[in-house]
Amino acid sequence: MVFDFIALGIFSLIIIVMAAYGYKLSAKTAEDYMMAGRTIGVVVMFFFVLFAISSSWTFYGFPGVLYLHGPGYVFFIWGSVAGFAGLYMFLGPRLWALAKINRFLSPIEVLAERYESKTLRVLLSITMLAFIIPYVGIQPLGVGRGFEALTGLPLWVGAVYTSVLLIILVILGGMRIVAWVNIFLGVVYVTALLGSLFWVVSIVFPDAGLVQAATMLVEIDPAKLSAPGPLGEYTTTLMIGTFVVGLMAFCWPHVVIGVMTARDKKLFRWMPLLVFIFGGLFFYIIPFIWGSLVAPAAMPGITSAAEADSVVQTVIQTYLPRWFAVLVLMGVIAAAVSTAAVQLMTSSIIVARDLIQGVIKPNATDRQITAVARWSVVGIVIFSLSVTVAVQIGAGEEAMALYLTNVSVPGFAQWAPALVGGLLWKRGTKQGALAGTFAGVIYLLLGMLIKGADGSNILFFGLHPVVPTLPLNLILYIVVSHLTPRPSEQIEDVFFNEVDDYLRSDRTV
Amino acid sequence: MLEMKTHRAGKIFLAVLVLSIIAMMVVVGLGYMETPEGADPILLFGWMTMPLVAGVVFVLVWLVAYLVYFFKYWPYR
Repeated sequence: MVFDFIALGIFSLIIIVMAAYGYKLSAKTAEDYMMAGRTIGVVVMFFFVLFAISSSWTFYGFPGVLYLHGPGYVFFIWGSVAGFAGLYMFLGPRLWALAKINRFLSPIEVLAERYESKTLRVLLSITMLAFIIPYVGIQPLGVGRGFEALTGLPLWVGAVYTSVLLIILVILGGMRIVAWVNIFLGVVYVTALLGSLFWVVSIVFPDAGLVQAATMLVEIDPAKLSAPGPLGEYTTTLMIGTFVVGLMAFCWPHVVIGVMTARDKKLFRWMPLLVFIFGGLFFYIIPFIWGSLVAPAAMPGITSAAEADSVVQTVIQTYLPRWFAVLVLMGVIAAAVSTAAVQLMTSSIIVARDLIQGVIKPNATDRQITAVARWSVVGIVIFSLSVTVAVQIGAGEEAMALYLTNVSVPGFAQWAPALVGGLLWKRGTKQGALAGTFAGVIYLLLGMLIKGADGSNILFFGLHPVVPTLPLNLILYIVVSHLTPRPSEQIEDVFFNEVDDYLRSDRTV
Repeated sequence: MLEMKTHRAGKIFLAVLVLSIIAMMVVVGLGYMETPEGADPILLFGWMTMPLVAGVVFVLVWLVAYLVYFFKYWPYR
């Protein structure tokens, strides 16, 4: 136990020292704190984004669903890889150039100016905060479970430890250090996840490795090797739906904001390469192998969602020495902190730039909004900890993977039409964006709240929440835009012509 | 994306990506992710399940299309 705490103490100290160094280094301006001074290069950006995405979900939730339902859920990953790459290939260059030319500090600010609407700014801010903050809370919860499984300490100990670490990192470091720390955290996480996989495979399946694991599964539970899985869950419709939900990854707000921190346009040429090779063909295949092959063969028989969420850690603790389990827990903390820190940065920027300066106090100084951004972090963390409290008192027990895909992603998807249309469609209007977003959000909320006699969400007609809500949002956006006067020539110049000229010129390199 | 629609290479690039998404859905829809009646699950190299194989092929198609277009034809390069 003493070794565990010393190791975790050193790990925390490294993060705190990096945060303090970042504070000393920073220019103390809002642009520096929120956008890392727009200096992030391709390698840092890749680790920044990959580990902003790869939360403790990749260690608990993702393998947990694969364990219970077979490999069908992996279509979420294939959709997400295309979605993330699409963000950098299709939207990224324009969003980055617009933000750089006009010194925008938040993607919601970009859209508020594009559509000339304060109401839209408030609507998008509240919507994004409502869906991102609970997801921040999922991260300390993941660490809490890891702590509980390894040390026997209550769930809240790990959750509070993670929250304190997050507050220090984000308040002191800002976006630049959050990005840099993600490199350190990413290395720890990949080492833990990949190292434990190799080690467990060599111990449990010494004769033929993964082939031996697959052969064992064919004998004990062959349904876990194909769709629809042992419980018949992943039907054709659900796999295609999961794939489409994954494609929506291009509009996760904490990923979109990363685009605005890029140093130059060359980044957009190189990022997809890393997304495809390192993300799609390497990184995400590690938890896939863990959840769909190694864990079910090494430890069959688990049927509850909560136990399945922890199955990778249980296998590691069963077969590997205790000191390595501590390293793995560090990897989980790394994954949780790297994601939650970016989400916290994004949330605090929305609070400070879009709600406080954009609506409540337009004449707030640079110094004031930086201070608001920093201190709102504490409030957001405390609020998000309610997720952990809910689980602790037994009110919110839900498989982690399904929270991401069934709650957060449908919420994030509601700004997709306004975002894509605002950057790529000259005809998109304020009224269209407002009508589409408002209708989509209201439908989503009602759909989640209104339950049928059997407990199902009757307004979704048995479909994934994205499937009925997003088309409604999109159709309204297009129809209302066509029925209302087109945006002014000035908007067209600023948001389309100037950006295109800028991107074609050599000034951007 | 607007710049891609202004020239032939960009249109081909976008068409390849859209077709790959449709192809993925068709492959899933035709039941290739399921175990054939009365047989064992299909495993490539003895361990790769079909959803993994389908995804790897999909990512490779996007990777090749991206490499060709972004390094040879992208107007902002």
